[in-house]
Amino acid sequence: MSKVLEINNVSKIYGEGDSKVTALDNASLSIEHGEVVLIVGSSGSGKSTLLNMIGLLDRPSNGKILIDGIDTTTLNDDQISSFRNKKLGFIFQFSNLLADLSVLENVLLPRQIGGTNHTAEKEARDLLKAVGLEDQMHKRANKISGGQAQRVAIARGLINKPSIVLADEPTGNLDSVTSETIVQLMKSMAKKLNQTFIIVTHDRPHFGVVDKVITIKDGKAFEGEQPSEMEVFA
Amino acid sequence: MYHIHYILDYFIIFVEYRLILAKRMLFNKKGSLIGAVLAVTIGILVIHVNFVIFQGLFDAIVRDISDYRNGDILVTDDADYIDKSDLSIVSWFERIPYVQGATPRLSSSAEMNMTKNGKLIEETRIPLVGIDPFRDIKASTVHETVSEGNYVFSRNSIVLGSNVAKDLGGAEVGDSIKVLVVDRVGEDQIRRFTVSGIAKSPGGQGFDYTAVIHIDTLRDMMGRPGDTSSFMVKLNDPSKALELKEFFLQSFPNDDFLAETIEESAEEQLAGFRSGIAMISMIGYFGMMSSAFAILTIQMMLVNGKTKEIGIMRAIGAKRKDILIIFIFQGMIIGAIGAGVGTAAGLGYTFYAKETKMSFNNSLPLEVSYNWEKIIQTALTSFALAIIASLYPSYRATKLLPVEAMRNV
Repeated sequence: MSKVLEINNVSKIYGEGDSKVTALDNASLSIEHGEVVLIVGSSGSGKSTLLNMIGLLDRPSNGKILIDGIDTTTLNDDQISSFRNKKLGFIFQFSNLLADLSVLENVLLPRQIGGTNHTAEKEARDLLKAVGLEDQMHKRANKISGGQAQRVAIARGLINKPSIVLADEPTGNLDSVTSETIVQLMKSMAKKLNQTFIIVTHDRPHFGVVDKVITIKDGKAFEGEQPSEMEVFA
Repeated sequence: MYHIHYILDYFIIFVEYRLILAKRMLFNKKGSLIGAVLAVTIGILVIHVNFVIFQGLFDAIVRDISDYRNGDILVTDDADYIDKSDLSIVSWFERIPYVQGATPRLSSSAEMNMTKNGKLIEETRIPLVGIDPFRDIKASTVHETVSEGNYVFSRNSIVLGSNVAKDLGGAEVGDSIKVLVVDRVGEDQIRRFTVSGIAKSPGGQGFDYTAVIHIDTLRDMMGRPGDTSSFMVKLNDPSKALELKEFFLQSFPNDDFLAETIEESAEEQLAGFRSGIAMISMIGYFGMMSSAFAILTIQMMLVNGKTKEIGIMRAIGAKRKDILIIFIFQGMIIGAIGAGVGTAAGLGYTFYAKETKMSFNNSLPLEVSYNWEKIIQTALTSFALAIIASLYPSYRATKLLPVEAMRNV
């Protein structure tokens, strides 16, 4: 398998002098194409910071992030936007759809932003069918339930066939039954499309067996599950 | 062919989603949309109302001066009197197809007295105008202002302006009036006239403060046979006034004629109005600027209310310029709707003013016109101002960092 993501000695430091906070401290990791990876850790450990770095929503203070072999730290703002559009998909905790658009339009949006649209509508419809929302396509995004919104977000995250789909607490705002559905959907889509998923979660047990778990503790990244962290979750 | 289709398709898709998003975001905030559109509409309406009233008033005064006194061209002479025959000048003008009529007039001032109810009433320094009854009605509409009786029709008939009649103790049609004019050698010439009519013009630009008699009678009294003070020339097509004036002066190179268009001859009377209208227009444009500030405020609120959406769009790949364009599109939509509604409302008001023959101070009928150049200029200015007003909020929207915006998500 080829490496889809390589993070080399990435740090993120906020503030200066006495108020300096190291949110991420020399984190290094690599993820193979098609893997489902969980990032776990306690609140404030640096999980979301790491996800923001991988998602190119924020720039690291030091280190390199390579996606599909491209050093993203050298890209300018416009190139980063295009890169995010083509190579990355996003699923957020809540309110992640544009309320002014329909379900179908939300799924189509990344493709429209990218400017390539020949087969987009058919693909969007297929994806919505795959996530079980073919009958909700023309509803306004704010007229569907939280679980349905997350399924739309999954479809939107997949529309551009990105290298990585990043999910930040995708079940954080859902009840346990809906959470289970969303987790299973993401895992099945990952398997079906051979799609890399990187998921930040507090909800470790719901995800069961995954390809890799990365634990963030005090800004440092560890591959594998730390027993101490598991105790916290339990 | 395929490539053209592809490029067009790409262009439509590329622009379309931003336009759709701009429209949806705006139309889903109906209060803000209505507020912004109203701001533009009111700005335009103020300018239209100002234009109808003040430009209408200005044009009405120009119309009345032209219709009653100066015509489209006023011919005078460096020396106060023109000694060329009426016939030659009038004929020269009337052979030109777009000349409606030309008429001579002679001006003087007089003392008048009359006995009313056994009481002698005297008035001095009353402007007196001699007219040719047959030619005057072709070149002027002042005869239409005679509200009682008839216009001058004989050598001994006199038409009194309503204010002159009032000053003479309420002179009426049929009354006998003694008129004194000092002739060219300084001797008093007195004649008795019968009042044939009372003139009262709407707006008072006519002969309300003047007395009118037959031009030949006045010439006799003044001892100036054949002399004329001015020729009033009325055209079917006033836009040709300048051209005809030049032609006239070239045709009489050896005379000391002065020929002026209405703009030139009435300049003194109109100068004050011109600056007044300019000031009122400025106030209108300041109103439009206030509308732009209202749009700016409303759009800032829209941007602040869409922080999350901006963050989501940036996260899924929208560039700063995409965000900029979305909010500029909103400014364009506000500007377009506002300009459309404002112009429609303004035209509606203009139509109403024209159809109802709106008058100033219940007397002077406004000269209401559709000035399409001004209407289009106003609409385009407000549209442009709406876009300019949206630039700063749009720029602010692009400055939102995705990671900051996403904190709210």
